[in-house]
Amino acid sequence: MPGVHYYDLRHVTGQVTHIDIDNGVVESAGTSFFNKAVIRVLHKTGWGMLQIDNYTPCTGKKFDEILESACRLARITQENVILGDAPHGILAVPSMKEDPRNVSIEEKSSLLSGIEQAARHPSVVNTRANYIEKIESVQFTDSSENEFSYEMCRSGFNVLAVASRNGNVQMGYEREHSIHGFNIRHQQSLGKKAAEIAVALLDAGVAKSGKMRAVLDPELAGVFAHEAVGHASEGDLVKEGNSVLKGKTGQKIGNENLTIIDDPGIHEFGFDPVDAEGVAVCRTEMIKKGVINAFLHNRETLSSVGNGVAGHARAMPGEPPLVRMSNTFIEAGDATEREIFEECRNGIFLKGSRGGQVDPGRGIFQFNAEYGYLIEKGECTTMVRDVSLSGEILMTLHGITLCGNNRTMSPGYCGKGGQSVPVSDGAPHILLCDAVVGGSGVD
Amino acid sequence: MGHPIYSCAMRWWVAVVWIDQLIHKAQKTVDEVEVFYIKGTSVSADLQQKKVDLATTSEDCGLGIRTIHKGRIGSSSTNNVSQWRECLNAAIASGKLATPQDWGGLPDIVQHSRTPLSFDASIRIEPGIVIDLIEKMLKGAAEHPAEVTAGSASLSSATVTLANSKGVRYSDRHTGVSLSLEAICGQSTGYEFDHSCFFDKVDPVSVGERATFFATESDNGKDIATGEYDILLSPLAYGELLGNVFIPALSGRNVHAGRSRLAQSQGETVIDPQISMYDDPLLKKANGSVRWDAEGTPTRRVDFIREGILETFAYDLKTAYRFGKTSTASAIRGGFGGLPSIGHHNFVVDGKRDEVADERVVYVHNVVGAHTANPMSGEFSVELSNAFWMEGGGFETPIRSAMLTGNVFDLHHNICGMSKESRAIGSMILPSVKINKQCIIGK
Repeated sequence: MPGVHYYDLRHVTGQVTHIDIDNGVVESAGTSFFNKAVIRVLHKTGWGMLQIDNYTPCTGKKFDEILESACRLARITQENVILGDAPHGILAVPSMKEDPRNVSIEEKSSLLSGIEQAARHPSVVNTRANYIEKIESVQFTDSSENEFSYEMCRSGFNVLAVASRNGNVQMGYEREHSIHGFNIRHQQSLGKKAAEIAVALLDAGVAKSGKMRAVLDPELAGVFAHEAVGHASEGDLVKEGNSVLKGKTGQKIGNENLTIIDDPGIHEFGFDPVDAEGVAVCRTEMIKKGVINAFLHNRETLSSVGNGVAGHARAMPGEPPLVRMSNTFIEAGDATEREIFEECRNGIFLKGSRGGQVDPGRGIFQFNAEYGYLIEKGECTTMVRDVSLSGEILMTLHGITLCGNNRTMSPGYCGKGGQSVPVSDGAPHILLCDAVVGGSGVD
Repeated sequence: MGHPIYSCAMRWWVAVVWIDQLIHKAQKTVDEVEVFYIKGTSVSADLQQKKVDLATTSEDCGLGIRTIHKGRIGSSSTNNVSQWRECLNAAIASGKLATPQDWGGLPDIVQHSRTPLSFDASIRIEPGIVIDLIEKMLKGAAEHPAEVTAGSASLSSATVTLANSKGVRYSDRHTGVSLSLEAICGQSTGYEFDHSCFFDKVDPVSVGERATFFATESDNGKDIATGEYDILLSPLAYGELLGNVFIPALSGRNVHAGRSRLAQSQGETVIDPQISMYDDPLLKKANGSVRWDAEGTPTRRVDFIREGILETFAYDLKTAYRFGKTSTASAIRGGFGGLPSIGHHNFVVDGKRDEVADERVVYVHNVVGAHTANPMSGEFSVELSNAFWMEGGGFETPIRSAMLTGNVFDLHHNICGMSKESRAIGSMILPSVKINKQCIIGK
């Protein structure tokens, strides 16, 4: 078609199976279906895009009509979009140990019920467990005759226990999500753990606010990497001028021992066999030995910003590709856990994550732990609840003085531009000096 | 089956003949069936800095089916309407897994006015109009030196259809216009948005002007010492805390499940006596106005808290039947084809209005990280965004970076004033609230 520089089509069909058990009652359980497509066209200047529910694949005149509709939209754009060159290719999707589709929903419900029942305790007033299984069948094609297709299944569960005593209401929350197949067998221990944490939090103290030394567990340190570095490294934000890291490549913002990576190719919950533009996925070292090293890109931001590789475009079914993180982590160092606590001496140990948020332009981030312990003379003592951390990207990373030797990854979801995509975050235990801790305790 | 009622001019039998077929087929197997069908279209333009780089149209549809048989509720959804038979079978299969409960039947038909409440016939879904909105936002943005980083404008239109085996055949139309703009000045960011069902209720010039105003005015902020301050939360900042913590505690499901701190407080004073909180689904020109909820129950005003005293909680049919209550017509659906759940339509915080910015206060325009608050206990600590010292109604010194920490339930006892103006934040209509003695953590 005249004037069309490029087009691509991403068509995703699939099904979602869910089970919700609340206080022993199966509230809902069943399967829903979806069929969504996105067609993007670059015509003279910028993107024209159609989002189509219930798309029927077509060729010839019908497809040309769709392209023409997208071209009409592209004609109102002003930005001259140029796509950077990037290698295409697809990784194999790892095989599942047990395909959830081979397990009846009755058995899934029974196993989930076991986890929910394990969270019961005399002080627990509510137990809730959810199972979610999403199967996506992705077809990608573009005007350069690249064609990819794959199927991904993500499944897992959450369990919540709510403990209550004299108006004091606390919760414990555990989750496990995977790309490696059915994973809710023999998981009652996580239900029990949720209950134990909820009950223990009834007697936990409140943390005092202020600057202090903090040890972050791998899950929370992973969220720290995601919020403090990952978002500000996204090429679209850098291009817009909405990242404090813009123009600071080569600047040292952390210690020698700090390397932060995003890698869509590793077999964690954020795994993508190919990105949403058909580009081969690739590991990017955003921070290398404390220095701002590279940004995450799609083809458009690669050509306009540079410094990094494409392959980081991700999309929900039926939504446009955005530059996103996938599996984000702080590389393991060589400190033992014991050394980290001893070096901390007096401070706070923060465990688990209730999520976080960042304003990448301002360089300010905030995230919340599920709970923590005071550290006194290198030992964990009193349990504390409702502790958050905030900081400034360009200053806080200098405070990471020790990285442990025990990196682990945790699954989650990340929101941006109205889209939520599966990710994993991880790190070893880290020691963060001059952490700004928010709690409701007062001196 | 009763006589169908049409609340708009659409010829029912032409538009949705398959719905009658679906209901007829379902009634051979299950006691009751409900069909929710939404079909919509939208157009949007996205800015990268000051240029449009993406123009999009979408065609959305979603079908949600619920079946009820001997108290077992089944459900499924799809956006491929031609597969309604498979979707119905999945809903019936899903019902077999659900725990049976007391069920008093789907709503009967009620004669409603045919005039839609949240529909503007003047809204046309055309690319040229969104470009005009974008240009007006940029014109407003040029009032201040901050640079535009991103923004968007969109127009949408949807038809919602609800039918059930009791003869309900309701149809309603909705329109929407949404605007947002982001700006940066040095390392200070600003964000503003607007949304309405009515074209003449949004002000694109003001959205642009306020985005660059907040970015510009917040530049060169000063530190604030840790301590207790009287604060003024904008409707946006207040809505973050209210929506993430307080409103979920008014859901009947959370109350009966033991997940609400307000569960045992009916008839008690739970907030300052000058404040009332209610849902008014029939407000004129409000974004969430509807005559019937997502299950077809006729809507009415629900007074949750009247002059500080907790009167009632929100119920849908399922929760009401289970716990011997009456539905408050609070069922809503999230997105296309979503299942009904308890929510609200136009949540209003009201009471005696006054000048709130005469005395010296810390004004907080927005907060970062409210979703990480503890929804059970209400404890939160968030980072401030666009905070200023304010006196005599004017913005004075900007505050560079600080955290606000406290408890969402407790701070409602310390509200000492509400502004004369209210603002729609999503489906909430909120004043600015002045709150005494809140803890701010300086850096």
